[in-house]
Amino acid sequence: MNRLNGLAAGLGRIMDRIAGLCLVAIMILVVTNVLFRALFKRPVLGTYDYVTLSTAVMISLALAYCAVQNGHIAVGFVVDRLPKRRQAAVDTAVNLAAVAFWGLCSWQMAAYAGSMASRGVVAATSQIPLYPFIYLVAFGLAALCLVLLVRAVESAMRAAGGK
Amino acid sequence: MTASTVGFISIMAFFALLLLRVPIAYALALVGFLGFSYLTSPSAAFKMVTKEIFSIFSSYSLSVIAMFVWMGFLSFYSGMGARLYIFAYRLIGHRPGGLAIATQAACGAFGAICGSNTATAATIGAIALPEMRKYKYDPSLATASVAAGGVLGVLIPPSVIFIIYGTATEQSVGKLFLAGILPGILLMLLYMAAIYIVVSRNPALGPAGPRATWRERMEALRGGLGEIFIVFSISMGGLFAGWFTPTEAGAVGAAGVLGVALLKRRLSWEGFSKSLLDTTRTTAMIMLLIAGAMIFGRLMAISRIPFEVAGWAGLLPLPPYAVMAVILLIYLLLGCFIDALALVLLTIPIFYPVVVNTLGYDPVWFGVIIVMTVAMGVITPPVGMNVYIIKGVAPDIPLEVIYKGIWPFLFALIMCLGILVAFPGIATFLPDIVVGR
Repeated sequence: MNRLNGLAAGLGRIMDRIAGLCLVAIMILVVTNVLFRALFKRPVLGTYDYVTLSTAVMISLALAYCAVQNGHIAVGFVVDRLPKRRQAAVDTAVNLAAVAFWGLCSWQMAAYAGSMASRGVVAATSQIPLYPFIYLVAFGLAALCLVLLVRAVESAMRAAGGK
Repeated sequence: MTASTVGFISIMAFFALLLLRVPIAYALALVGFLGFSYLTSPSAAFKMVTKEIFSIFSSYSLSVIAMFVWMGFLSFYSGMGARLYIFAYRLIGHRPGGLAIATQAACGAFGAICGSNTATAATIGAIALPEMRKYKYDPSLATASVAAGGVLGVLIPPSVIFIIYGTATEQSVGKLFLAGILPGILLMLLYMAAIYIVVSRNPALGPAGPRATWRERMEALRGGLGEIFIVFSISMGGLFAGWFTPTEAGAVGAAGVLGVALLKRRLSWEGFSKSLLDTTRTTAMIMLLIAGAMIFGRLMAISRIPFEVAGWAGLLPLPPYAVMAVILLIYLLLGCFIDALALVLLTIPIFYPVVVNTLGYDPVWFGVIIVMTVAMGVITPPVGMNVYIIKGVAPDIPLEVIYKGIWPFLFALIMCLGILVAFPGIATFLPDIVVGR
């Protein structure tokens, strides 16, 4: 169990580091574009596409680690009052439902990427194909599922009276 | 079942899931998906969900959020917030209640480089609380003043909630930012007045601190305020002048803070790395929340609930301001339970058409009103986000003690809201003269 937990958290952390690099890259690109436009009257062509696609990469890669750190906000004032084992039971059910939902979304996202690939849809100015980025969103959602699945198993063990 | 019945059941289901501690973003997306599938078909719902998620994640107008969030965290890790507070308290810390008043000034100034109320409360709280405790301030007053001061972070631009409101309603983010400035300053002054009155009546709540010399004050001024002024002028000034898009203003602001921090050798590698980590986490949370709200919004649109609410509000035998008062009351009540950002996202599809199209209120003014109203929710029980943040900074102080100190600040917020309703010009004046109608 600990190994699975470590794997999910480790994968999340690596993905999150790449997301951080995307953030730095977006900032540098946007500032370069502003400077080039102001100083040389020559904007960096395709900035809009690069910014939107890198943002999609950044968010997708950060979703899982955000869940590892309990970053997705929830309202706890009712469940917090329940006994610990009841809380664990509720968390198990919630996490399993979330795994099912985001799992389906990830699968459908991959299907959407496939259809974009076969239709050859590209970004407007840079002509970059969109489908690899959509696959990446699907991957990000799948990693989120992995984290939530580990959570579900952990809370199920707590609900059953384990550690 | 009619479409609006399905919509109504979905709203109830959403609240039920919230009570089960389901993250708000998941609950919005799941209920939105299920309701949409019921009214159309599962395959249409999957198409809608995947398209919405990808279009939100790859949205240019929302990419700005990451930039402003990063700018705030960079300012925090490079100690800019701390220096602001030091300047304010050297100036007025020797007066009764002076440290709490200085906290408001620091929150207001930090708001000019930070777009989130929780980040503002956390940043200033981490510095101001230990100082106030050192000088034996009443714990209620000390903690509540920081929790309430955080609200200034979203009113004074940049502001994540204004960005989201602007994107959802197709209003100019620049105009909204400008509209937040004067109400933000007004609220800061009202907070200061509230502290002054409370401490005058019971001086033991906020004993005077030591007096700083003018030389010490000038030193503190050089350390922080000047840098924030320069970064704010370039980033926000460029946006207001129409040179930059909001995303560019955010990137230039983040680059500015990073540049200043590196030049003055104030940012360690660890601080930089933590700023990235905090930014990606916060941005992922916000973007998934927006995606969830958009999915839920699509369900609301096909359930026709917004149209029915608008029609119903239009037929009410009440003057517009009374309908507006009812809407604000609903916001206040919901704000006690739901996070400010989620509340804005959730309710805009329902109330925006009523307020702007049916009742004829100014959309920019309404944006400011909404931000202030949901801000009350972040400092009131049972779910006051800023109060939780302050509890994190000062774990030994019970939540009840913090909530007890909130009253004067809540009163100031309500007064500020009243003034804005009576004189809408306070919000619309700046956008009208700078950008034009």
